[in-house]
Amino acid sequence: MTLAIDWVLLLPALLPAAAMLLVLLVDAAVPGARRVMAVVAALGLAAGAATAVPGILAADERLTLCTAAPDGRCLWDGGPLPSTLQAGILLATLAVLALVSVRRVGVVDLTLLLASAAGGTAVVASRDLGTWLVTLELATLPVIALVAWRDRRAATHGALTLLTTSLVSFGLLVLGAALWVLGTGDPTLTGESLAAAWAAPERRPVLTLAAVVLVAGLAFKLSAVPFHAWTPPTLTAGPLPVAALLASASKLAAVGALVVVLAPWESVVGANPGPHALVSVLVGLTVASMLVGTVMALRQTEVVRLLAWSTVAQAGWVVLPLTALSAAGRGAAVAYTIVYAVAALVAFAAVRATHGPRVEDHRDLTAYRGILRRDPVAGGTLALALLVLAGLPPGVIGLVAKVVALGPPVAAGLWPVAVVAVIAAVLGIAVYVRWFAVLFGRPDDASAPVRPRRRRASVAVAVVGTAVIVVLSVLPQLLLGPLA
Amino acid sequence: MSPLTLASTLVGLPALASVVTLALRRTPRTAAAIASLVAVVSLVVALVGLVVAPTSDEASSILGDLYAVGGLDLSLQLGTGPATAAVAAVVALVACAVLVFTQWYLADDDRLAEFAATVSLFTAAMMLVVHARDLVLTLIGWEVMGWCSYLLIGHWSRKESARRAAYKAFLVTRVADIGFVLGIVGLVAGAGSTGLDAVVAFWSGTAADCADSATQVVGACAAPEPWLRSLLVSLVVIGVLGKSAQIPFQDWLPDAMEGPTPASALIHAATMVAAGTVVLAQLFDVLVVADGARWLLGVATAITMVGAAVLALGQSDLKRLLAWSTVSQVAIMLSALATAPADVGPDPGLFHLWSHAIFKSLLFLTIGWLSVVAGSTLASRLRGSGNAHQLARVGWLFGLLALAGAPFVVGGLSKEHVIVTAYEGAVGAGGPGVIVLAALLVTVVLTAAYAMRAHLVVDAPDPLPEASAAARMPSAPVLVALAVLTVLTVVGGLVMITGLFELERASVVWMLLTTLLIVIGGGLAWLARGSGDPRDAFVRTARQRELADRGLGVDTAYRALVARPVLGLARVVAFLDREVVDGYVRGAAASAGIAGWLTARGHRREAASGGVALVAVGLLVAAGTAVLTWR
Repeated sequence: MTLAIDWVLLLPALLPAAAMLLVLLVDAAVPGARRVMAVVAALGLAAGAATAVPGILAADERLTLCTAAPDGRCLWDGGPLPSTLQAGILLATLAVLALVSVRRVGVVDLTLLLASAAGGTAVVASRDLGTWLVTLELATLPVIALVAWRDRRAATHGALTLLTTSLVSFGLLVLGAALWVLGTGDPTLTGESLAAAWAAPERRPVLTLAAVVLVAGLAFKLSAVPFHAWTPPTLTAGPLPVAALLASASKLAAVGALVVVLAPWESVVGANPGPHALVSVLVGLTVASMLVGTVMALRQTEVVRLLAWSTVAQAGWVVLPLTALSAAGRGAAVAYTIVYAVAALVAFAAVRATHGPRVEDHRDLTAYRGILRRDPVAGGTLALALLVLAGLPPGVIGLVAKVVALGPPVAAGLWPVAVVAVIAAVLGIAVYVRWFAVLFGRPDDASAPVRPRRRRASVAVAVVGTAVIVVLSVLPQLLLGPLA
Repeated sequence: MSPLTLASTLVGLPALASVVTLALRRTPRTAAAIASLVAVVSLVVALVGLVVAPTSDEASSILGDLYAVGGLDLSLQLGTGPATAAVAAVVALVACAVLVFTQWYLADDDRLAEFAATVSLFTAAMMLVVHARDLVLTLIGWEVMGWCSYLLIGHWSRKESARRAAYKAFLVTRVADIGFVLGIVGLVAGAGSTGLDAVVAFWSGTAADCADSATQVVGACAAPEPWLRSLLVSLVVIGVLGKSAQIPFQDWLPDAMEGPTPASALIHAATMVAAGTVVLAQLFDVLVVADGARWLLGVATAITMVGAAVLALGQSDLKRLLAWSTVSQVAIMLSALATAPADVGPDPGLFHLWSHAIFKSLLFLTIGWLSVVAGSTLASRLRGSGNAHQLARVGWLFGLLALAGAPFVVGGLSKEHVIVTAYEGAVGAGGPGVIVLAALLVTVVLTAAYAMRAHLVVDAPDPLPEASAAARMPSAPVLVALAVLTVLTVVGGLVMITGLFELERASVVWMLLTTLLIVIGGGLAWLARGSGDPRDAFVRTARQRELADRGLGVDTAYRALVARPVLGLARVVAFLDREVVDGYVRGAAASAGIAGWLTARGHRREAASGGVALVAVGLLVAAGTAVLTWR
């Protein structure tokens, strides 16, 4: 079998992988040259993101890794949707790299981060089950190692939780992939083969089961209810930068993987009978995640745990537009995830700049009283990030993302989901305003945490993320345009 | 210079100046000097614009299609044309004169820089309204002007009366703006575009084609519903009546005299009250076919111009006399728009705006000077203050001549055109032409009478006390500005021959008739001069004077008819909100709390084993779904 390969399209995934190899080589040649290795890693991530930009702006198809005609299949898609996700994953990983203090970053951390980024960029572009499965695990497994790498009991506990769930999830994914091949006889994820298979009534249960099992497996990675249990303990116990990675880059990769799996189903939406079981599973995930995540977040006082539960709630919002099984829905889901990832990174960076990276620092809401006066940069960026997460102006892009996410389900006639989403949005405002309100008021020096000494990189991440939020708030078209 | 460069420079320069001035507020004198300097520069730019004024209207978008989101075409165009260039020039001129005057008049004020910055911002907003070819931009300029007028009127915020006047101006114009915003939104929604050309083409029924009928929310593609058009334009007219202080919103403007005199000069001459004329002139092609709106505008302006002229005659304060004269004169401008037939166009109204801006700024700046000499703006204190300086006397005289509409000075020529327009409207097309024409003729008599009165008071031969005669002389730039305004008051009518305004020939018959009326009005005041102030002959008792000074007690009516019912309604709504709506909110909060507690109980053990348990649940759900679909 010969493959037509357009290497340029593969660069976003190849560059981080190459950077990883280079880091290992540097470590072998000059052990201890941490700064050099960090720079190589950062350059690899930035260059990968830069190579994804042409794909974001592209108007025509960008397919590669194509098998020979007549029934040629392409295994790699470099179009706007995957490219946007790739750029997001790489930049989010870069931000996480900045949050890990350069002084403490080691070759292991760098390798794991780069491996995860390479896996994430590959999974969102893949169009066949083989690449998809392998790269998805490449995106996930290094993160487990990152959680456990620092030798603390709480962290190992979190890593163990994550590992258990990941194994179950992997099992489900493999099962789902097998069922897909059984149903369609085609290892690539294309609408034509699904539509052909859907025409045969006896294959429909297998196909539905395949999709449901795949979605269930991915729901672990997305931390959607009821597959969310690992999220709060892992995010709280692990180092803060890794929590930021789980909330941003990993989330983007998971959404990309889900989009890849759900994309073929658009071809059978209009069929009779349609894929109702799949839609109801997605609706269930959405509704449960939004409601459970939000009401749990309402009760939290530890800020990282609050952010963790808010991740669960936001997972519901990410799945919401996908329930329509339409191209508009996929674009809206990607846009929402990007906005969420930026806001979450800013919030985590602000927390990192306030407390330092460890769980032992009393990370309570009371520590933020009056932070806007005590520490205007961290407080201001955090305030804007919270407004974006809540979907309130002046964090306009948060509101725009929510409105855009509501559009596809409404267009598909799924009114009840939209109603639940609105209720969840109102409750969500309460979640973030609880924190937002604390930022104002008189600083209380007794409960104020000691400002960490090395926090320049965290502040920089928060400021750059805020700049992105501001630009997108003024010109939402910059994000929504390529995804439309 | 392209129209776009010109327009954006004229809008941008004053806006920039206001920011810089505000930044330098620690050194007020420097700040004010910079504001004046920028005003001079923008005056030069405006004059250049006058020279290169394009022969036809041109508009270009400042932002391209960056905001092409949704079904609305948001073009954000700025543009310029002959009449636009003329109005822009006069705005720049007045702003410049006002800033120069301010530097002298408010030299000792500790908030001089803030005042200058507000004046600059005000100018920028007016320039935006003048140059906007997009209703959203018009709305922005309109709102910024409302805010700036609040700041300027309340500049001496330590005075209770100034604060009240500022609140009153803001609230009254805001109430009228409800109509303006609704009207603009309706017009934009119907046309599916915020661009002025598209809106006018759609609502005047001359849209060339309507390929994209999906974006048109209201009305059919061919011709918009006449009643809807009348309703929307009437709403816009209500907003204009508010900003231009026409009946029933007239009472805020005389109270606004609590602001510093330069602020009054700016608000009255070239910005706030004139903005309505500019907006309606831009929408003229729609207005002329919206009969209901024309009647509303015509009747309101007819009543206003006569009533305000009567009140002007009865004021005991000359500054308030000028305020009422502004109300009356703006009514004249707007009446030209209400009555003009389609082939005459809006230019007679704009021409009167141009001349009114020149002579009214002259009058206000002169009375600002005279009040410094006399220490008050009361007519009784200003007696004979014209003896302070020859320029003050001449400026005041020519300003009043123009106000009265004497032939050949700037105000006379423009008033002539308004009267001819109203006559053509009365004999030709339908609409409120007859009423307006009658009101105009009465107003000419009354205006001549109160102008004569103002002249007699200031020019009385009483000698000034020595101390006040030697009081502060204005600085040289102020004298230059006043001299320029005086000269322009005399020769400003020459703008007619430049062709910037599309005007028809004035009629000799009408000119003779109005001259006769002016002589009658002025003569009556002259005959009634008695002890010196002709007012005493017209308004005899103290009770009548009180009534005139309080604008017939309209303020009390506002409070009784609007403020009190609104406050009562607010109390009812607050009660409903607190007792009924909040009940649901509290209930929602309680149920969210209970749900959170229940969910938290379900997550008590966040252990790896707990995770596995939930995995098992998840698998059960997945398997259950699969079984259910296995048919």
